[in-house]
Amino acid sequence: MTDIWHTLMQALAQLASGDSQLWGIVGVSFSVSLSALLIALLPALSLGFILAYYRFPGRWVAISLLNSLLAVPTVVVGLVLYMLLSRAGPLGDYHLLFTQPAMVIGQILLCFPLLVSMSLSAFQAADHRVLETARTLGANRWQAFTTLLFEVRFALMAAVVTAFGRIIAEVGCAMMVGGNILHYTRNITTAIALETGKGEFVQGVALGIVLLSMALFMNVTLGWMQSNSRVLRQVS
Amino acid sequence: MRLQLTNVSQKYGAERLFSIPSATLHSGQAVHLHGANGAGKSTLMKIMAGLQTPTTGKVDRLFEMGEKTNRQAVIYLHQQTYLFDTDVRANVEYGLKLRGEKNPRKVDEALTWARLDHIQDRAAYHLSGGERQRLALARALVLNPQIILLDEPSSNLDAASIERIQEMLADLKNRGAGYLLACHQKNLMGQYCDQNWYLSESQLVVD
Repeated sequence: MTDIWHTLMQALAQLASGDSQLWGIVGVSFSVSLSALLIALLPALSLGFILAYYRFPGRWVAISLLNSLLAVPTVVVGLVLYMLLSRAGPLGDYHLLFTQPAMVIGQILLCFPLLVSMSLSAFQAADHRVLETARTLGANRWQAFTTLLFEVRFALMAAVVTAFGRIIAEVGCAMMVGGNILHYTRNITTAIALETGKGEFVQGVALGIVLLSMALFMNVTLGWMQSNSRVLRQVS
Repeated sequence: MRLQLTNVSQKYGAERLFSIPSATLHSGQAVHLHGANGAGKSTLMKIMAGLQTPTTGKVDRLFEMGEKTNRQAVIYLHQQTYLFDTDVRANVEYGLKLRGEKNPRKVDEALTWARLDHIQDRAAYHLSGGERQRLALARALVLNPQIILLDEPSSNLDAASIERIQEMLADLKNRGAGYLLACHQKNLMGQYCDQNWYLSESQLVVD
């Protein structure tokens, strides 16, 4: 018990000291995950909207496929991407393996189905009169779409927060396609795995505190949003 | 302006909801649309508002010389009004913002007209049934529509609210706007209409 307490205190001290290596690792995590999220966001929301409001052949196959992708382990996504990006793979010529762009691609693949699925639910739960009201008051198609986005904004924010939580906390894909290179592709989760393997718990605990604090912040924010949104209450 | 319906029909599968060879609704005209539940009143109004495409036929918006063509000339009001997840004032401002117009005085006038000026900062979803209908009318009025299509505006309202909505409709008519009022039962609201449309057995009969 004393050891755990001692390690925790050391970890807090390391965080407070502004350790450049530790905060550099945190920076890599946020940079990669935010990039992946920003790239995936608009296509995912658009697809969620199309699946919610348009009927076309193959729609249910697409929805089932996306829902199935939610359950795929991150390490399997990493494995597939590794085979595609490795020198012998079809995308080997781009030399992306063990780079941050490879990690971004992996995280896009992980968050995209989640964003589509949650935005689809949000759009389906939205009142069908939103678009009609917007259109009858003079909105063109784009203005009506943005009005709908506004009306379901809290549910969409919940999707974004959940997706961000999934990708920033994943380790399998980042480890396989990032390679855990210090100052370049080492992020919070791969660093925790490495340091724990070496028996160096202080940095691992410090990084764990960062992840836990972020999770707490996101959940409190989400809870606040939930209490302020009738749309989200309908979804949940 | 006038809304001209030509050979408008609506089918769901093999079942024909209605078929209307010809009908016209003018601005300045008040029409009471009668019909039983399921007769197709809401569908007809949505088609007239351009929110739904009919199975066959077309609805033309014919403007007189000198009248400005615009998307906001015909406005449809749902039976259960949808209010945006903002405050009362922002709901009224919505249509003006769409056309890039900032006109606080016009918004103030609409809010006063609907007797909602004292609660303009309140979240719209906190309003009562009567206040919701008045807000929907104010949101339409601020856009100077020429025709308003009202789908059962009196449902679930008390007598005082119905009377107030009726006054507002009379005022809209005095301002030159026309309206089509759907109601499946003859009530106070319909008695001031100039014309009756009966939607029955897939036909529209004008009286």
